[in-house]
Amino acid sequence: MLTNIVKNELKRIVGADNASFSKEDLLCYSYDATNSLHLPEAVVFPATAEEISLILKMANAEGFPVIPRGAGTGFSGGSLPVEGGVVISTERMKAVIEIDPDNLTAIAEPGVVTWEFQQEVEKLGLFYPPDPSSLKFSTIGGNIAECAGGPRAVKYGVTKDYVLGLEVVLPTGEIINTGVRTAKGVVGYDITKLMVGSEGTLGIVTKATLKLLPLPETIKTMLAIFPDLKDAAKAVSGIIRAKVIPSTLELIDSVCIKCVEEYAQVGLPQAEAVLLIEVDGSFDTVDKDSEVVKRICAGNGSTEVRIANDKKEVKDLWKARRAISASLFRVKPNKINEDIVVPRSAIPELIAGLQEIGKKRNLLIAGFGHAGDGNIHVNIMYDKKDPKESKEAQEAVVDVFGLTIKLGGTLSGEHGVGITKAPYLKMELTEASIDAMKRIKAAFDPKGILNPGKIFPKADKAQADRLKEPV
Amino acid sequence: MRDLSDLKDELEKCVRCGTCRSVCPVFRVAGREPSAARGKLTLIESYMKGEIGLTETYLKHLKECTLCGACRQNCPNSVNTVEIFNAARIDAATKNGIPLAASLIFKNLLDDRILPWALKMATRLQGLIFKDSSVEKGLLSRFSLPIIGSGRLLPPLANKFFMELPEVKALSKQEQGSKGPKIAFYAGCGINYLMPEVGTATLEVLKKAGTRVIVPEGQVCCGMPAFSMGDEKIARNMALKNLEAFEAHEFDFITTSCATCGHGLKNLFRKLLGDNSELKDRVEAFCSKVRDITELLVNELDYLNKAGNEKKGELIATYHDPCHLGRAQGLRDAPRYLIEKCSAVNLKEMKNPCSCCGLGGGLSTTNYDLSINITKRKVDNIKGSGADIVVTACPGCMVQLRDGLHKFGVKAKVAHVVELL
Ligand SMILES: Cc1cc2nc3c(=O)[nH]c(=O)nc-3n(C[C@H](O)[C@H](O)[C@H](O)COP(=O)(O)OP(=O)(O)OC[C@H]3O[C@@H](n4cnc5c(N)ncnc54)[C@H](O)[C@@H]3O)c2cc1C
Repeated sequence: MLTNIVKNELKRIVGADNASFSKEDLLCYSYDATNSLHLPEAVVFPATAEEISLILKMANAEGFPVIPRGAGTGFSGGSLPVEGGVVISTERMKAVIEIDPDNLTAIAEPGVVTWEFQQEVEKLGLFYPPDPSSLKFSTIGGNIAECAGGPRAVKYGVTKDYVLGLEVVLPTGEIINTGVRTAKGVVGYDITKLMVGSEGTLGIVTKATLKLLPLPETIKTMLAIFPDLKDAAKAVSGIIRAKVIPSTLELIDSVCIKCVEEYAQVGLPQAEAVLLIEVDGSFDTVDKDSEVVKRICAGNGSTEVRIANDKKEVKDLWKARRAISASLFRVKPNKINEDIVVPRSAIPELIAGLQEIGKKRNLLIAGFGHAGDGNIHVNIMYDKKDPKESKEAQEAVVDVFGLTIKLGGTLSGEHGVGITKAPYLKMELTEASIDAMKRIKAAFDPKGILNPGKIFPKADKAQADRLKEPV
Repeated sequence: MRDLSDLKDELEKCVRCGTCRSVCPVFRVAGREPSAARGKLTLIESYMKGEIGLTETYLKHLKECTLCGACRQNCPNSVNTVEIFNAARIDAATKNGIPLAASLIFKNLLDDRILPWALKMATRLQGLIFKDSSVEKGLLSRFSLPIIGSGRLLPPLANKFFMELPEVKALSKQEQGSKGPKIAFYAGCGINYLMPEVGTATLEVLKKAGTRVIVPEGQVCCGMPAFSMGDEKIARNMALKNLEAFEAHEFDFITTSCATCGHGLKNLFRKLLGDNSELKDRVEAFCSKVRDITELLVNELDYLNKAGNEKKGELIATYHDPCHLGRAQGLRDAPRYLIEKCSAVNLKEMKNPCSCCGLGGGLSTTNYDLSINITKRKVDNIKGSGADIVVTACPGCMVQLRDGLHKFGVKAKVAHVVELL
């Protein structure tokens, strides 16, 4: 429980308009895209690193949890106040402070929406590639904390490849600057990389220096249609083997096609699978690469390769692609959404394995995602109200993770561990590495006040069981 | 019509993905979760579960919405947000016993018996309250009034209301002419009290299109403003009165030049009166004949071919999609075709032509600051297009756009499509 003294102090630090304790506001900051609710005791909207620093110092002294929050679109519960405490929303910190075309860098505050940042840099002919499907509403801070990635990762990498330096408030309240503003730098430990993907457990990002690229001259968007899902998976490996690196290589299976077409109505074909492929670069390269892609798709059983003719067709295809995750609820009221990654060459095996798991457990498993980098979003669809189906779904998760590890993969490519994957951490990491990570956490946050209850499974069995319950 | 309690399943369809944050005009300005649909739906759900009551804060968040429907249109799960928000407003207003804009004046304004009278009084009084503004049409309030606020450009009340113009009165019982499709014109409050010229321009276009027009007497407000303030009862009374006023005549179509009224007559009427088995067929007959003026001209009267190919002048126009026309009635092309083929201006699109102007859902009354800041984004886009004229198809949007353009110092004029034909 926050004392009145703490509440008054919070108001004093951020201003009365920027601190709320009303049940209504707390409810609105109690959830993220995992759709589970945990009430905080306060939500504050600071404007500066200094304000955040004061709050964290007080949290150490008084012993209350602090939870950083961007847009609350996380898929692993990272911003949920599972142990109560104060939510720090970055919604007021949304300035793009600087764009430097000479050095190809930009400085942004954490609450900037990724899409809006991209629009700003593109005006100057520059390019910030990380593109999670939530890019129109998730924030740079949230993207950094989860090391978000998207379709372009296959060619351009993920958020961590674009973070040069950070201003971070440490859990103990010190404000530090990490990293460099230069192309290289090896002075001291690389705390920047440690912060990226740390899920808001090691510090609160208050400014980010981001790397930019020149905007590619042109892009070609294609849709290849396959009567057999396995053939589509083979085409993915084929394209990579032919040494073409598309800027997008997305696989969408029939369940996803059906759901998203119902929503977006952009004329997706009723096929077993489609690949959404983009190649970018100079006009010459794009022409050449798209020919190779077409040939390989046809050679692997594609019945048709469509090319988007204008901006609207491109926009429609992307609107559809980005809406898949949420539109899947049209077939079943609940789903367990995993974003496993396997080595690219293992994709056909993974697809076959998923189909088997679905058959064995009598479940609908929808798959889509970044086939180009081996990151497939596996959606196990079920109905919470059907106890048998719920149980099968939970067991299917373990099957899917087992298969992933067997194929040399990892449990999460971009959504993070948070609370949803904490119970499974040991399937991938050894006791010794989990321990090393815990010691890092303790070194940064000796009192354990910053985003507690995340990543590391609780020793407590009851808690672990509760966490296992799919959201 | 579904009650809030019937909408539990609809509420549960929201998976809290946050997509609504990217399209909500209120969220873009206010920047906090309760203003986006995801937050509001959470609050409504908690209210229904009894976790929160009809508190000030709850009501405040309910009101901070223009009911523009962008969240519904972009929701990957097609949650019918607008239906839920309207039901929650009705629930709150019913339980509290007053509409959401809880001032006595406002309640009186919603009542159709008092509205014409109050406005007439106001016409006489406005000379005392307002001073002339040289900018565009309208008056700048001289004093700070509680619901008006100083510095706000308000349109003057018409010297003579549209329904009282002699040429309109002449059509109130009997149409003129003997040939062509018969059209019943529904004026609506915006045209009647504030912009009779849009009404007269509509009548002229209809004449040019070779139709016979009647403007049935006894028509009243369409009920949309009352409905969106949660006053379902008044809205239903108004719907009934309109139904009767139009049933007294025979015609092929009902048309209106107000996007909001059009949406009200086409869609809200069905909701308000359609449940009543005695009225069902009558309502259906009425609603199925309603066409927006642009829709009527393009789809029913072949106006593009009859009057097409106007010679183009120098002026550049940009088109603003009223939420109640584009999103609510699916009419985005018809007005653009008319501008392109039948007017002397050159159409140039602005950025986000379909984003809300900020007026709707009663927001300009309940929270003018928020409302006009939404308009500011619109005004920036208008400026960016370089247009001399903003064309639209809704008197409500016209009022708001004029106010915003004036306030933020952008010189573009505002016109209704029919005024260009
Ligand atoms: C429809 C949909 C599609 C998605 N698609 C993708 C996808 O393709 N790829 C992908 O990677 N993810 C995807 N996601 C997941 C999610 O959008 C990302 O994880 C995103 O990065 C979260 O950003 P956010 O601003 O919403 O952060 P939040 O959800 O608010 O927070 C996420 C984590 O970041 C921490 N955090 C937030 N701000 C800060 C800060 N300033 N400093 C320190 N920690 C902070 C929080 O504590 C939390 O642990 C998707 C989500 C949805 C709903």
